Amino acid sequence: MELLVLIKPVPDPDTRLRPNAAGTALDTDGVKWVLTGYDESAVEQALLLKESAPGSRVRAIAFGPAPRTEEILRSALALGCDTATWVEQPSGLVPDPMLSANALSWACQKTPFDLLVVGKQALDDEAGVVGPAVAERLGVADYGPVVDLRWDPAAGKFNLARAVEGGLERITASGPMVVCLQQAWNDPRTAKLQNVLKARRTTIDKVSWAEVQAGVGPAVPGTRLTSFRLPPPRTGAKMIAFKTPEEAAQQLVRLLREEAKTLP
Amino acid sequence: MSADVLVVIERRGAAPVRAALEATGVARRLAGPSGAGRVTAVLLGTALEASAGTIAGLGVDRVITVSDPRFDTFQTALWAAAVAAIARELSSSVILLAGTNNGRQLAGRIAIRWDAAAVTGIADLSPGAAGEITVTRPVFSGRAFQEVRIGAPRVVLGLRPNAFPIPEASSPPAPIAEHAPLELGPLPSGGAVTGFESAQSGIGPDLSDATVIVSGGRGLKGPENFRLLEELALSLGAAIGASRAVTDSGWRPASFQIGQTGKSVSPQLYIAVGISGAIQHLVGMISSRTIVAINSDPSAPIFKVADYGIAGDLFQIVPALTAEIRRVRGS
Ligand SMILES: Cc1cc2nc3c(=O)[nH]c(=O)nc-3n(C[C@H](O)[C@H](O)[C@H](O)COP(=O)(O)OP(=O)(O)OC[C@H]3O[C@@H](n4cnc5c(N)ncnc54)[C@H](O)[C@@H]3O)c2cc1C
Ligand SMILES: Nc1ncnc2c1ncn2[C@@H]1O[C@H](COP(=O)(O)O)[C@@H](O)[C@H]1O
Repeated sequence: MELLVLIKPVPDPDTRLRPNAAGTALDTDGVKWVLTGYDESAVEQALLLKESAPGSRVRAIAFGPAPRTEEILRSALALGCDTATWVEQPSGLVPDPMLSANALSWACQKTPFDLLVVGKQALDDEAGVVGPAVAERLGVADYGPVVDLRWDPAAGKFNLARAVEGGLERITASGPMVVCLQQAWNDPRTAKLQNVLKARRTTIDKVSWAEVQAGVGPAVPGTRLTSFRLPPPRTGAKMIAFKTPEEAAQQLVRLLREEAKTLP
Repeated sequence: MSADVLVVIERRGAAPVRAALEATGVARRLAGPSGAGRVTAVLLGTALEASAGTIAGLGVDRVITVSDPRFDTFQTALWAAAVAAIARELSSSVILLAGTNNGRQLAGRIAIRWDAAAVTGIADLSPGAAGEITVTRPVFSGRAFQEVRIGAPRVVLGLRPNAFPIPEASSPPAPIAEHAPLELGPLPSGGAVTGFESAQSGIGPDLSDATVIVSGGRGLKGPENFRLLEELALSLGAAIGASRAVTDSGWRPASFQIGQTGKSVSPQLYIAVGISGAIQHLVGMISSRTIVAINSDPSAPIFKVADYGIAGDLFQIVPALTAEIRRVRGS
């Protein structure tokens, strides 16, 4: 089985978020970029499928600037991905998710695949558009948000479950297809030191921006960030003083009705 | 210039999903009053009459139905092709999608097919001068807000659930017209749906479209005590959620889990009961409008993010709260 997995370098979840001086975007000064969230689950899932179907290979693909993009591709190699593709992002370009989808689709069509795994949404922009957009570009089906995905070797098909309002839909499908993964049901593995060292020496295939533009046409983002702000700091709960549970309940209900206005 | 908006109506059973009603209201806001821009609602599938009737009374200019059993199951490629084809035909400038899983899955696909920009997870929006639309969306699990300006002439907008009011009924209802059969050309074939598992065997709304969620943690001490939460949820018409400590212990199925590796929710009211407030839990519920915490430990981190806190024993507080809510709601 040929597996592709799309991974995006995103700020470490522990990053203290700050707006930049213009107040338009995240201040990326000193930010540590990592492979995490749904993308980390996507890599884990691709590796599990590879292990369940001998002879399979996994290629990790990322679009982004140096050096962070190369670094997360090396993390993916260290975890067990076989090959990696770096779609180079020119400095000065601020891509939106649709632009990223176009750039990534160009890299994806270079490797015939059975399954392309992406995260349900990126940890930072939370758009959830890249997977379906790439699928449309490549003319294959997509499924998401997927919460279970297994390979049935006897049938030569994938069994998957997607979350829908009210429950889970179970689907049997054959590749090539795109899966937008919500979560890994096995905790993502950590890389062995020996593999980290090996990954440092692996050659990463590069796709230049010129090639992307020649392939998918001039890419101009259709959207622009105009503001990035933090919510007003949570000052801590208003603590309800009470002598009896009944008194606590009465006070809470009164506050929810009269102050918060959120009691139906 | 006002927008010409095509709003996609998803149904469950005979009725539109709540998020689709919210989207219908937003569509009107984007298009301006009737006569300025036009709002068209589209429904796909079979047995559409009841839903089409509901939507026709919510301030839209017209309703288009596409009665075709192919749309009774959700296949992104098929739905996207149909919606894009109708938007082309109507020369729409905005396609509006409700805050559902299917809505989220459609956005990118439609945008490619319709050659448009796409922005999802929208919590607020304002049509600006010169047809530019500015939207606000939470990012980084609700830890920040981003404002995005859309300059593209065509845009697919996806909303966050529970972020917008349901529009009031209007009269007279808009006309409903059946669309000619859609010829969509070759499309990738979707898989076969082999089954459906209902997430909640019990009562109440689904987590993802509930306006009130009552969520339980390890403080409940055992699965049998979820009965207390069920009664509270029933009194409020709420859905039930859980922390990972609960789902990992098997007290509730994984579909109840809220947080980093579970669901993200943003109800009007989130009541956390016996939940400590670990960061992995918080990221899944922090964008709720009002948060209430009930925890016996006054220094539990959940109180830092809650709006209202009761430091007390849940086994005493929760039954009292259920009784009080029943009393004020007269049930
Ligand atoms: C990679 C990763 C992903 C994770 N993803 C998630 C996720 O998606 N969702 C999630 O929830 N967690 C997640 N976790 C786990 C998370 O870190 C916490 O362990 C978990 O949220 C704790 O659940 P809890 O608050 O129910 O339990 P505890 O932390 O044990 O808290 C129980 C609380 O109940 C209170 N209590 C006890 N008795 C009473 C009483 N009688 N009355 C009132 N209060 C009482 C206690 O004071 C305590 O604060 C994840 C962890 C990791 C490492
Ligand atoms: N720049 C990128 N490089 C590689 N993969 C990406 C990139 N942006 C998004 N993706 C993939 O698409 C998923 C959804 O991203 P988004 O649509 O931006 O929320 C992510 O979880 C990744 O799997």
